[in-house]
Formats: sequence, C-alpha cells, structure tokens
Amino acid sequence: MTPLIECRSVSRRFTTPGAAPVLAVSNVDLIVGPGEFVAIEGPSGSGKTTLLGLLAGIDRPDEGTVSVLGHDVARLTEPERCALRRRRIGIVFQSFGLLAALSVFDNVALPLTLDGVDPVDRPLRVRAALDEVGLSARETSRIDELSGGERQRVGVARALVNDPRLLLADEPTGSLDEANGAAVLDLLVDASRSHGATLVLVTHDPASVARADRGYRMRDGRLTTEVA
Amino acid sequence: MLARHIVHLVLREPRRTIAGATGVAIGAALLVSVVLFGVASGATLTGRALRDLPVDGQAVLAATADPATADQLLAADPAVRRTLPFTLVHFDTASAVTAGAATQTSTGVVVGIDAQYTAETGLFATSSGTRAPGQVAVGRDLATNLGITPGDTVTFALPGGGTTDLQVSGIVDISGADLVLGPTDAAHRAAGANPPTNVAVTDLATANRVASSIPAGTIAMPPTPAPTGTGGSSVAVSDEPAVRHELQVQYDHAQLPGNPLDAQHWLDAVRRRIERVAAGTFTLVDDAAASLEPIATDLAWGQILFVFLALPGVGIALALSRFAAESSADATRRHAALLRARGATSRESWIVSIGAVGLTSLLGASAGALVGFGLGYVAFGAELQAAGTSVVLPTIAAIVASALLAVIAAISQLRQQLGGEVAESRMELRRAHEPLWQRLYLDIVALIAAAAVWWAIGGTGVHPVLNAEGNPTVTLAVTSFLPTLLLWTGGTLFLLRIVSALIARGMSLPSLLRRLFGPGGEVAGHAIRSRIAATSRAIVLLGLAVSLAASVLIFSATYAQQQRVDAELTLGADLRATPTAPADATAVNAAMGPGVAAATSFVDRVVYVGSEAQDLLAIDPATLPSVTPLADSFFQGATAAASLNALQSQPDAILVSAETAHDYSLVAGDRVRIRIPDATGTLRDVDFRMAGVALEFPTAPKDAFLVANLDYVASSTANPAISYVLARQSTPDARSLLSDRLGPGWTVADITTTSARLANSVTSVDIGALVALDLGFALLIATIGTGLFLLAGLSERRRELATLRAIGASPQHMRAAVAAEATVVGLAGAIIGFLTGGALGLALLAVLAGIFDPPADLPAIPWIALAGFLAAIVAGLALAVVVGASAIARIGVLAALRER
Repeated sequence: MTPLIECRSVSRRFTTPGAAPVLAVSNVDLIVGPGEFVAIEGPSGSGKTTLLGLLAGIDRPDEGTVSVLGHDVARLTEPERCALRRRRIGIVFQSFGLLAALSVFDNVALPLTLDGVDPVDRPLRVRAALDEVGLSARETSRIDELSGGERQRVGVARALVNDPRLLLADEPTGSLDEANGAAVLDLLVDASRSHGATLVLVTHDPASVARADRGYRMRDGRLTTEVA
Repeated sequence: MLARHIVHLVLREPRRTIAGATGVAIGAALLVSVVLFGVASGATLTGRALRDLPVDGQAVLAATADPATADQLLAADPAVRRTLPFTLVHFDTASAVTAGAATQTSTGVVVGIDAQYTAETGLFATSSGTRAPGQVAVGRDLATNLGITPGDTVTFALPGGGTTDLQVSGIVDISGADLVLGPTDAAHRAAGANPPTNVAVTDLATANRVASSIPAGTIAMPPTPAPTGTGGSSVAVSDEPAVRHELQVQYDHAQLPGNPLDAQHWLDAVRRRIERVAAGTFTLVDDAAASLEPIATDLAWGQILFVFLALPGVGIALALSRFAAESSADATRRHAALLRARGATSRESWIVSIGAVGLTSLLGASAGALVGFGLGYVAFGAELQAAGTSVVLPTIAAIVASALLAVIAAISQLRQQLGGEVAESRMELRRAHEPLWQRLYLDIVALIAAAAVWWAIGGTGVHPVLNAEGNPTVTLAVTSFLPTLLLWTGGTLFLLRIVSALIARGMSLPSLLRRLFGPGGEVAGHAIRSRIAATSRAIVLLGLAVSLAASVLIFSATYAQQQRVDAELTLGADLRATPTAPADATAVNAAMGPGVAAATSFVDRVVYVGSEAQDLLAIDPATLPSVTPLADSFFQGATAAASLNALQSQPDAILVSAETAHDYSLVAGDRVRIRIPDATGTLRDVDFRMAGVALEFPTAPKDAFLVANLDYVASSTANPAISYVLARQSTPDARSLLSDRLGPGWTVADITTTSARLANSVTSVDIGALVALDLGFALLIATIGTGLFLLAGLSERRRELATLRAIGASPQHMRAAVAAEATVVGLAGAIIGFLTGGALGLALLAVLAGIFDPPADLPAIPWIALAGFLAAIVAGLALAVVVGASAIARIGVLAALRER
C-alpha cells in the first residue's frame, strides 16, 4: 500500500539574527497510510505545528523529504502546493481560522471560491459539509454570532468541503472546553472515516492520542515515541 | 524611565514610526512649502509694486533751498541709489494757431527733465518726432486738444500773467507719469486729485527759464473740468504752487525686505533718517511706501490662494497621519498591553504612547520641513532671496503647527486604541455603525448651506473698487469662498454616502470583482464590505486629494488661458519683433524660418481723425489670420473673415472703433479722411471708406483705433516703414530663434514675457509653482493613503490572510485580492475626486471671475493634465499593490496562525 505521507529524515531550523538557530523539527521519519488516524502529542514549542506545516506544504524542510499524496512537497512550486492544499487537504486550526467578515456559508465555501468553483455549484457542497457538522441552520449567521464549539465545527466543515484525502488538525480542541473539545474530536474522527481521509492530529492532550490508530510523542523537534 | 520607554517604542517599531512620521512629514513639507509660497508672494508683490514705480521718492525743494546741497544730502544716505532733477511748471492755458484756426486748452504742466531722465525712469519716451533743447515735446492729449503736430508753436499762458512760446518738436508718451505729474502733498492725493492731462516736456534749462518768469509764491490755477472723453480732472487743486522743483529719488532695492509690511517700515525709516538731516531743505514724498499700501488687498488675495489651493492639502496630509496611526494600531495596542503586564499604570501607558507619538511627529515634522524647504527654494528661490530673513519665523511656526496638529490627530486615535485594548481589537467583528456625519446628514446640510450662501452673496466674491489714489483695484470677500468649501466637503461626503451604500447594499461587489480579478477578487469583495468604515476613510482621503488636484488644475488652466488671451491681444500674436531702425514689409521674409509658422507685417501709427489722435493699425489682411486668432466677437455686425475680406478686396476700406463710429456718426460706406504721417513725419490726408466696426483687435488700445490695409496706407503716404512683425511660433524656443535670425536691430517679445508684464497686482502671484506643489502632494497623499489603507488592512487581518494562505490561496490570489481592493478604493476615490474637484474648480472660477480680463466665457479643462494625474494615481496605486502583495508574501503563515 502506497503511504499517503512519507517523511524521511526531515529537519527544519529557524534562524533569528543575533540568536542561535532553533531546530524546530529534527530528523523526523514518519509514514502514514491512507485512512489512518495518527496523533502527535507534545508540549508547546516541541515542533508539532512546524511538522504539520511541512505536511501541509505551507513550509519546506531544510533537510530530508516530505512526500504527501505522492508529491515531493519540496519539488512543487508555490502555486502547486497551494492547489494541493485547496483540493486534497483540509486543515483545522486551534483558533478556528475563520474570516470574521464572511458568513458561515462563505467561510465554508472559501476553498471552493479560491479554486474557482462556479458559484452555482457551491451551495450543494457547502450545505453537505454543514449538514455533516450539524450547522445547516446557521449558514447565514455571522461568525461573531457563534459559540466557540460552533466556530470550530465551521472550521471542520470548511476542511471537509473539498472532500480531502488528508485532514490536518492543529490542536483543534485547544480553544474549547472539555465537552466541546470531545464533540469536535468525535466529529473529526467520524468525518475522516466517512470520507476515507487520513487524519493527522497534533495535540497536547493525551486523551486525544488515545483515540488514534497510532500516536507519537514529540519533544524538542524529535518524534520520539510511538504510543501504542 | 518613561523617556527610555518612549525612545524604545519609537525605535522598536520602525514600521509604526516610519508610517506615522511619513504622514506628518508630508503635512509639514506641504505646510512649509506653502508658507514659503506666502513669503515669496509677498516678495513678488513688493517687487512688482516698486518695479513699476518710476521713482521711489520726490524731494520737493523749499523755495530757498540750494539744489546742489539738497542733492548732496540725499546722495549721502546709503539707501539712495540715484537722484534725478525735475522741474514742473503749471500753465493756465495753452494755445496754438493751426491751419488758420486758433485753439486753446485748459490748465496743464510743462515738465523739465535732464537727458538721462527717460532712460532711468522709463517716462516721457518720444513716440514721434524728437526732443530738442529749447523746444517742447507734447503729450498726445495736448496735441489732440490743440490739433498740433511737430513744427507748430504753442503759447503757454503762465500763472502770474506771463506767456511763453515754444515750438513743438515731437509727441511724448505720458503713460505711467501720473505720479510725478500730480500733486505731491498727502491731502491732494488722499482727495483723489488726478494729474494734468495737458503735458509738455522740455529740457531742464528751458523749464527753469519758464519757471523763472513766474513770480515766487504764485499758486497754480485750479483746473477746469475737462470735457467728457478727454480724461481731465474734476477735482479742485487749491494751493498747488505754480512751480515745483524736485530731486526725485531712486532707492537701492536690493536693501528692501521682501515682505510688503517690512518694506514699508524700512522705507519709513529711510524717510525719517533723510528728513532728520534735511530739515527745511526739502520735503520728502515717499512714493514707494505709498505704493505698497494697496498691497494689503493683494496680500489678502495671496492668503486666500493659500487657503484654497494649499490648506486643504495640509488638512488632507494631516488626515493621512491619522491614517498612518491606524495602520500601526496593532503595534500600539501590543506595546500598551506589554507595559501594563510589566506593572505600568494606565496613566504611564498613556504617557509613553503619547510621548512616542509626539517624538514621531517631531521627527516627521523636521524631515518634512527639510523637504518643504528644498521644494520651496526650488520653486520660489529667487523671490525667497529677496524676502531675506522674513522666511524664518513663518517656517518655524509651520513646523511646530504641523507637529502639534499631528499629535492632536493621533491622540484621538490613541484614545480609541488604548480605550479598550481587547474590545477594540475585535472591532472588525462587530457590525459597523454608520459614521456620525452620515447619521446627522451633514453632507446634505453642507450642500444646502453652500447653495444658500451662494445665493445670498450673488455668486461672486470679487468686486472692483477704487482705492485711496482713485485707481481701480479689486477686493475679495472671504465669505464668498464659504460655498466652495461647503461644496467641497459636502459633495465629497455625499458621493461617499452613495458609494458606501452601493458597496454595502446596492450591488454584488464580490461577484463583480470575481469577474474582474478571479477568486482573489471575490474574497476582496467580501473584505471590502466588512471593512466599510476603513474603506470609506481611504476613499475619502483619495477623493479629497484628487478633488484638490482637479480643482487646482482647472483653475490654473483657466488662469493661464485668460492670461494668454490678454497677452495675445496686447502683443498681437505669439511673437512680436520690433525694429530699432526703420524696416519695411520685406522683414517678414527674414522672419520666416525655424520656430516661426507664419508671420505678417504690422503698422501701428498715431494718426489724426479731425483733431483727435488715434492709433491706426495697418495690416496685411491676407496673412494676419494665419498669425493670430481673430474672434468674430472682435467685430460688430460681421464675422472676422468678412471684415478682413473687406479690407483685402477694397484697399481703401477701414474699420473704425465703436467709439469713433459713434462720435463721428459713421456708417458703412462713409468717406473718412485721416491725416497720416509720411516718412518725414509730415501729415498727409488719406481718404478711406468705412467698412465696419472693430470692437477689439490685436495690439489695439481699449478706446479709439482704426484698422486699414497696410499696402494702401504705405502707398498713400509713400511710407513703407512697418512698426513690427507679428509671428506665430511653432516651437518653444521660437523667440530666441527669431531674435537670432533678425539680428541685433530687432527686439523680439513673446507671450511669456508679455504675460508677466501684464499681470496686474492681483494676478501677479505666481500660482504655477503652488499648483505644481499641490499636484505633487496630492499624488503623494493619494498613493501613500491608499498604500496605508492596504497595509493597515494587512496588519489588521494578518491572521486571516495567513488562514487564506494555509487553506490554499496562492500568491496570485493574494495579489488579485490586493489589486481588487486598490481598484475599488482608487475608482471610487477618483470618481468622487474628479466630480467634486470639477465642481469646486467651476465654483472657484465663478467666485474669482472678476479678476480675469477679458473674463473667461468657459473654463479651460486641462484634459491632458487631468489624464496625466489620473495615470500617476494609477501608477501610484499599482505601486501600493506591489508593496501590499509583497507584504503578504512575507507573512509567516505558521507564526501568524498562532497569534492571538
């Protein structure tokens, strides 16, 4: 079976003038198959989000190779990496990443808008995604009219609207209370299963790791332990 | 400690500091350069007022004074450059016998001057004949009144009963001599006493001989009212001595301060100094100081130009500094939060923020002042050198004012930023309220008020009045400018209301922008709607800048157009070449060549219709129309083409002025006999046939003149001499090319030099440089304002933009989004600006219609300049888009996504 994600000896360092370089991701090897749910747990500053950025093609490694959906991310041009994210990858952010200016509908439709999907074709797909997260009734609402849990569900709907092969979630429950966090996690897991998508979740919550097919710990940029 | 924090805040946030300082710098640069314009205008007015003055002062000698001693006293003063002896003798009547008929005039004067006088003062130039010792050259009015020509003898009846006979040697031009011919005492001048019109000029010795025949202490006879049309005085001049011996004074103008008021003080000091040492020898009449008095009105004009052509720009620049403060609002909030987290009180946080704003403003004001200085000196360098130290105080005031205004503008912004750091940071999440002016309908109120004030003042702000010397001048009612100000602000806000409504409700902006810019445009359409308040501010700023530029362009184009029309009428064409020795019509062939598209010969000769002297303009009707435009309105009851055709097809045809046609009851076909001097100056009778009426004609004076066929005049008088060659230029350097071609025996004048000479005291203010400054700053403000709008948007939406990048927006999408936002702001701002600017320009022209002579029928719309400005705005916006897109590309997506 061809892996969906294949990281080989991946390192990423950041340099700040006048300061020593920081090795955010150090020599990471990671292989994730289609439909798998992989969780990466670690404290703040351990390099989880940087790794997720590399998997999403937002960033490129200094060393090693990152292959996602059969593409070597470092070899893709910027527009190609953007297109990959728009069409094949859904991303869920800790702070929701919603545009306050837009309605719930328009936020969910953003990947379709950016991909040039005809406005006539958008409602069906947007409403399906909203239906999946239970927010069909709120499509005309403004973002500031929603609760935290609802906002994150909008974020999940936006990640699902392009029917992605890969879902990347960066601490999706980090801004929510326990109940809402659990509901959103359920939603993500169920959605990834129903879409047949691979889910990579980074979190500082060990409970979330327990739900995953495989779990890793990350410390000082290194993917240290595979949690059973 | 707090000071350290202030400096730290300024240095730590260079983006914020540069943004804030740039807005203030632009305001300060504009303010300083405009202040320099004001100072330069003062120097220009002073220079012009004194340049046209033949002498600066008249030392009227006491009866017993020794002229040589008085001359020594005057020459000893460091301010005196030259003294010129001058004798004025009143006569009771002048009479002559010509062609067997005796004629007599009323009172007048015989003036005695030395050989250098005309060269030094420009007065009493000989227009025909010569000036010969022991003879008189008479003014045209005296020649007309007596019907005399060179060679005739005039008998002057003098006060005290004596008479003297003097032969006429020529005709002199007495224009500009009112000052030296009129009474010198303040009471007469204040009463508006007019100078005599019957003037004869002779040498000093002859004048002194005539004066010596009048008993000492004799009083001149009051002039009798002159018949209508001869311009005689109607003011009684009692107690005017029959003889006046003067030493006229010219000062060293290099010592004069540029500011008219300072110049007056300087002149007063010189007068007091001279009078102190010359007590009893003479009385010094300070003509220079008197000529500066009416300038107060012109200074007011300069200040009004300042208000309308520059102050709005300063206001917009300060609005820009507030805009700049908004663009760095996030940084301010972050720093304030950091200070409080470290234990600073709210008051200390305020002090640090205000201190940083103050320091930034001071830096910006200083940098702007330097730029303003540079621009001012480039634009008005020569005038500012004349102004001397009077530049310093206004400049310092401008720097302080711009810094203070910037701090005040920024404080209101800081209050919002620091008033509720958390709540305000979520400002964009709240539903935007309509701004106060929109809720109070202040735009509608302003427009109604503009119409009401316009109606109340009758639509114009310029009124001709007579000043204390009886000369026409103009006054400007400042209240008349209120409608234009109200129209500007009200119109801008009203159009903004419409645009905002269209953006917010009336049209599908995202859909429209998607069609124009693709997916990025659609996202931008949503963003613009959500940031309607910030978008509106940017549109207003851009609209105001564009409207300022548009109104200034329209006003200055019309101003230049009317100056050119005036100059063309006076000069006759683009170029006028005057021979210093007699020349004939073949000179036209020599004139043709590079730089000259067409040329024609032209004669302007003093002729006599009955006893009245008039200007005869003899032209080549075949070539004149190709040299100078002749409007149909110049002719009464016929077109320009028909009138010239009449002169060409019927060589003895003549066009007369309306005044002549009326005075002599002439109708078309009537025979007119005119006396024209031949090559020797002898008058010959030449018969013409009246062919029409000319109301205006190139080079013609305002009153009586005649237009005839040049060939006919030349053959009838056996005098082929021409007065000048008129030419139409085809290249900008035509004047020098023509001058080189014709050689040293010709003097070539062009429109530019004539415009400068013609400009009256009101229009003497050179608005060209001010217009250039306004346009430059308007462009800068428009570009930077839009750039700041885009960058402020990027700053506010940093995390949102990072989110867009993360979910797949490509750099092309982001560029399209920025371009779409800039297009909406630019288009809306340009439409508002050009509409309000056009209306403002027209209103300003209506208010100032009275200063144009001839008045402008239609405003000049400088389409090319307007298009050029629009292109510059587009280029500026394109630059702002590039900078904005580049800023987005530099956003660290992962870091921005983690920001709270």
